[in-house]
Amino acid sequence: MAQEMVATLPGKVSQVKIKVGAKVEEDQEALTIEAMKMETPIFIPCNGTVKKLFVKEGDEVDEGDILAIIAGI
Amino acid sequence: MRPYFEKMTAFGHELKKGRLKSSQENLQKLKDAESKIQIEVERVKMVGLPEEKINARGQMTVWQRLEYLLDPGTWCPLHTLYNPADNEQGTTNVIDGLGKIAGKWAVVIGFDNKVLAGAWLPGQSENILRGTDLAKRLHIPLVWLVNCSGANLPEQEKFYANRRGAGTPLFRHAELEQLGIPVLAGIYGTNPAGGGYHGISATILFAHKDCNIAVGGAGIVSGMAPKGEFNLDTAEEIIDKAGKFKATPPGTAKTHYDETGFFRYVFETESDVLDGLKDYMKDLPSFHPKFYRVAQSREPRFPSQDLYHLLPMEPKKVYDFDEVLARLVDSSEHMEFRPDYGPEIYTGLCKIDGFLTACIGNRQGYLGKDYPEYADYAGMGGKVYRQGLIKMNEFVTLCGRDRIPIIWLQDTTGVDVGDDAEKAELLGLAMSLIYSIQQTDNPMMLLMLRKGTASSHYFMGGPTANRHNAFTIGTAASEIYVMHGETAAVATYSRRLVKEKEAGRPLEPIIERMNRLAREYHENSRPLFCAQKGLIDEIVPLSDLRKYLVAFAGAAYQNPKSICPHHQMILPRIIKG
Repeated sequence: MAQEMVATLPGKVSQVKIKVGAKVEEDQEALTIEAMKMETPIFIPCNGTVKKLFVKEGDEVDEGDILAIIAGI
Repeated sequence: MRPYFEKMTAFGHELKKGRLKSSQENLQKLKDAESKIQIEVERVKMVGLPEEKINARGQMTVWQRLEYLLDPGTWCPLHTLYNPADNEQGTTNVIDGLGKIAGKWAVVIGFDNKVLAGAWLPGQSENILRGTDLAKRLHIPLVWLVNCSGANLPEQEKFYANRRGAGTPLFRHAELEQLGIPVLAGIYGTNPAGGGYHGISATILFAHKDCNIAVGGAGIVSGMAPKGEFNLDTAEEIIDKAGKFKATPPGTAKTHYDETGFFRYVFETESDVLDGLKDYMKDLPSFHPKFYRVAQSREPRFPSQDLYHLLPMEPKKVYDFDEVLARLVDSSEHMEFRPDYGPEIYTGLCKIDGFLTACIGNRQGYLGKDYPEYADYAGMGGKVYRQGLIKMNEFVTLCGRDRIPIIWLQDTTGVDVGDDAEKAELLGLAMSLIYSIQQTDNPMMLLMLRKGTASSHYFMGGPTANRHNAFTIGTAASEIYVMHGETAAVATYSRRLVKEKEAGRPLEPIIERMNRLAREYHENSRPLFCAQKGLIDEIVPLSDLRKYLVAFAGAAYQNPKSICPHHQMILPRIIKG
């Protein structure tokens, strides 16, 4: 079952640590959103594989935007 | 009140493998930083004469005395790296901290007899005053290991006089005694002048047979009236007189046991002195822990090692404060006060070693587009807003009423600023919090998790609240400054940049100054700097933080000045509703 990884705040994607096809684990740090001088990590929601990645470094995102889809195992 | 406290609300989560793996780099950074700090701590321990040389004289070092005196596993050192006057020895020459002796908490201070025979050095009196303040704040005994050769004479102008100079601790000892707080002193070695007064200023004196205390030492007694200069004749005279007095230094144990009776006890061996202190500590007033405990002492449900995965070394990185707190308090349980108000601030009742303790901390991260409610911008934890200030004011006031010791956990970037913030009364509410703290008489401690910045470092129980702040500990990630260095550089040089630009002059020299200022801010906010200057009282490894919390809670409840019966507390009822 696939799960969405969602932006918890608006800001700029400052770091992406995952790639499409990569195996990932629940609670692994996936990327960072920079806003209001702070860097907020976004964590992988479940064990699985990165099926889709919708953002790259430098992208602006809004709260609730889907950042990636993780195909669960 | 068992139903309130025996089982409180559990919080926190077990860390998943993904988190543990992806935070390995952070763990390594924190461990590396802690290792560097530990190297400095070891250097302070090794300073001066080697242990073997002291032992060969039939003496123990201050470290050996401490190890013998203290209950195993209870020592929480403070001010190990404190060296505000930048002494070449790297120390103020006293070792102090909180520890248990014969089952009871005490503040313990000892002169380092490896360094200039325990001399007074610059910065030492300020260090000692932190110890006497701690004993006063926690209302627990002060135990001295006196072995002090008096003032290091070539540097006397740096510490002898002044309002908080080397004589001030003697007044503090008298103050403690007048407050009913005993000062016990084990006395070793030669203690002339300042050393003698340190010995005599205690409540009960436990002397080693070879020690002395005296108004002046042999060197002073053999001195002559000033003659304007020294020459060969006066040198010969000095040699003659000093030789005589060296043979019989004034104020021996015999004099002060048989003649003056100042020494309550004289002991044959060094360890006998320490046994005497232990024996006395057993009988000093204290409540049995069961009198104040609200539940059985329990460890947190999650390992302290998790803290290395949770607390980012990187100062801008957001983390979950509640998960950190869950690794510090008993059973990872709490009763949160007003969880639906002031989301940037955590306020709650927790248990530390079975004792009821209040915790206040900065929650990190995005607070949603609708908060703060008075502005059209979103809030970010670490900053403090109107609701958080009101909540802290209420909580502190209620803790004061219920006599609950407070642990502050700071990681703050300051108070919200701008015209909206002014209209929201933040300036007045921040000062109100200082007023609220001051009108309580609760012991408080501060754990500087990471950042201490701007006025929130003051009003969130920082060292500046020094009548209430018993002590402040930091971590390898701590940093304290009025504002970020780059912000300070902009504030300092922005107008100058405009002027230079308008005048057609090159901007590079100003830019270089700005970079230099930012670098200085960084260097002067590091944990080692903070410890050396006393901005924090000790840098503590994350795995040992709970030990200091246990020491604080146990000491605060050992013999408090004022009691609120558990069943008459109002704060737990307000939380329950």
